[in-house]
Amino acid sequence: MNAVYRSYGPLLGTIILLGVAVWTLAMIIGPQVFMVEQSLWRLEQPDSAVTAGMRIEELNNALSLAQYDLGTLDGATEPDKVAEREKLARSVSEMEQELSTLQGQDTAPVKVYTIGNYTEMSGYHAEIFVKTIGASLLVTLIAFAVCYPVAYAAAKLAKPQRAALILLGLVIPYAINELLRVFAWLMILDYQGVANSVLLWLGLPEPIRFLDSGIGVFVAMVYAYVLFMVFPIYNTIETLDSNQIEAARDLGASTWKIHTRVVLPHAKPGIAVGSIMTFMLSAGSFSVPHIMTRGTAQPWFSQLIYSKFYDSFYWNQGAAYAFTLLLVCVAFIIIMMKVFKVGIRDIAK
Amino acid sequence: MRGKSVSLDSVSMRFGDFTAVQPTTLTIQAGEFFSILGPSGCGKTTLLRMISGFMTPTGGTIRIGDADVTALGPNRRPTALIFQNLALFPLMPVWENVAFGLEVRGVSKRQRREKAEELLALVALDGQGDKLPTALSGGQRQRVAIARALAVEPAVLLLDEPLSALDLKLRQHMRTELKEIQRKTGVTFLYITHDQGEALTMSDRVAVMRSGIVEQVGRGDDIYDNPATSFVASFVGESNRLSGTVEAISGGQASIATRFGTLQARCGAGLTAGEKAIVFIRPERTRLQDTPDGSGFALRGTFLRRDLEGPFVNLFFDCQGLPVTVHVTNDSRHASDSAAERWLCIAPEDALALPAGALARDE
Repeated sequence: MNAVYRSYGPLLGTIILLGVAVWTLAMIIGPQVFMVEQSLWRLEQPDSAVTAGMRIEELNNALSLAQYDLGTLDGATEPDKVAEREKLARSVSEMEQELSTLQGQDTAPVKVYTIGNYTEMSGYHAEIFVKTIGASLLVTLIAFAVCYPVAYAAAKLAKPQRAALILLGLVIPYAINELLRVFAWLMILDYQGVANSVLLWLGLPEPIRFLDSGIGVFVAMVYAYVLFMVFPIYNTIETLDSNQIEAARDLGASTWKIHTRVVLPHAKPGIAVGSIMTFMLSAGSFSVPHIMTRGTAQPWFSQLIYSKFYDSFYWNQGAAYAFTLLLVCVAFIIIMMKVFKVGIRDIAK
Repeated sequence: MRGKSVSLDSVSMRFGDFTAVQPTTLTIQAGEFFSILGPSGCGKTTLLRMISGFMTPTGGTIRIGDADVTALGPNRRPTALIFQNLALFPLMPVWENVAFGLEVRGVSKRQRREKAEELLALVALDGQGDKLPTALSGGQRQRVAIARALAVEPAVLLLDEPLSALDLKLRQHMRTELKEIQRKTGVTFLYITHDQGEALTMSDRVAVMRSGIVEQVGRGDDIYDNPATSFVASFVGESNRLSGTVEAISGGQASIATRFGTLQARCGAGLTAGEKAIVFIRPERTRLQDTPDGSGFALRGTFLRRDLEGPFVNLFFDCQGLPVTVHVTNDSRHASDSAAERWLCIAPEDALALPAGALARDE
């Protein structure tokens, strides 16, 4: 803090520190704290309210009966009937009084802190959760398999101008709205879409159900997030001294050995960053599974979170689901850091 | 380990319109320490890359020993290359670096370790195997690179200016060490450098290159004392230069008419009477006298400046617009020699006349 003041002076220093503080609070801590707090409680009817509800029911029944009886005794002059009428009228007014006190009580449900939002995930939802994580891992793996050769080619094999062209080609589709890109894939992979037309023309007996089977989600997702994998890997491979590749070749290494022993170890931080980004984006993706499956395949976990918030308006459980997903993503980051033996500083680079 | 010979037969390399290496025919003997010396951009690195297999020549054949290797890739040639920046693998410990060539050949880990230790001992790095290359000093890294290259038992070791990144003391020390390793292993060393000191001290033979052409091949003494062209004479070592016209040639002596009068010099290759010539005189063979003794050619010079180099002193003179340098041994007699006017004497056997041609650029 002193260093900031020394470098930038009191005015600029204060602005910088304030900016950092506002950013940290408003962008990072605030929303998370709000989300976690939401996920830790729910509104419940207190026990007394439940018994009170039963009692109200009972009273309502008894009251209408008593009022009916009261009506039959209307205008009677026999002394015993008069006495009975008075007794009935008394009990009616007692019941009305009790009813009004009870009705005053049960309207307010109570906020109860509980971890129930987390533990009460239904079996079906848990299954979707596990499948979403598994599918996101697979998307990450496919994206890596697709991106590594591209990144290597752009960084080491192509001439500088060609490399710039390759990278530009990768970036251009991202200038188009994500929804449009996904819809484009929807048209390509539709039952009667472009891909199937080509396959049928090539002699396939019947069209493939890309969308209903969930293959479409994978294809569109790899496509949607490929850039987040390519660039980190490209950046790290670019910094690899080409002489090391040549030295390995000169010492007799095969292409496979050059990659496993020289290029891949060097590219680790980039692979870790790319995997983390691709995994988090796929696990939290809403539009891609929403559009590509159109409800014909099992939903993605993010769709469940969406429906908790907006369809069933159950924000507390929605928050709990969202936070669970966040925890898994954080765990994934930690695992990647351990597996690739990279520190948080390598990733930040 | 046994070295093999390298034969280049009309090897050339063209990049589009640019010819990096003119057709070159050259034989490097088995077990020889051979240097290719030339300024940057002369094609020496291209030549090395063609011999190592990273480039395929556009013409000619390359043979190593008896085998034609022109079409083979670098991983299938009996050569090992030491890169200018060494290109050690920074993420592998030293011993894995050294044993990398064995690892890719499927040698067992135990044997690799043994071989690595043996080679590390050869380059005086015993017990440093588990460190990372970054933990070593410049000279040590140099030796790791040599050990790594020797591990694959190459017949020819190719060195691409590996000493250029080191400081002067270390560079001089490594010269001796490289020569020693070459002697111990018997491997053919092909050394690329722009540093004439390195080429002259270590090599059995030196080739001097300019603009893709090998101008001269010979022992260090030949190159220094009998340069074949004006470029070699100006690139290797320092020289005072007098230009003139050849008057007559007789018995290995040439008379050259200069603006200071006629001068007798040894007749270099390709000199013809009536042509323009340059006379080269080494600064250490230019003698300083108070009065000319009449034994040779003498120039009157005005003293300009004195530079102390340590073991010798450079004295700079101006002879009517011609700069002349004299090296004198720093033996206290000349150490403070700074008389205003001196005679600079040149004996005919110390002057060499060559046809006027390209000179090395002063850098």
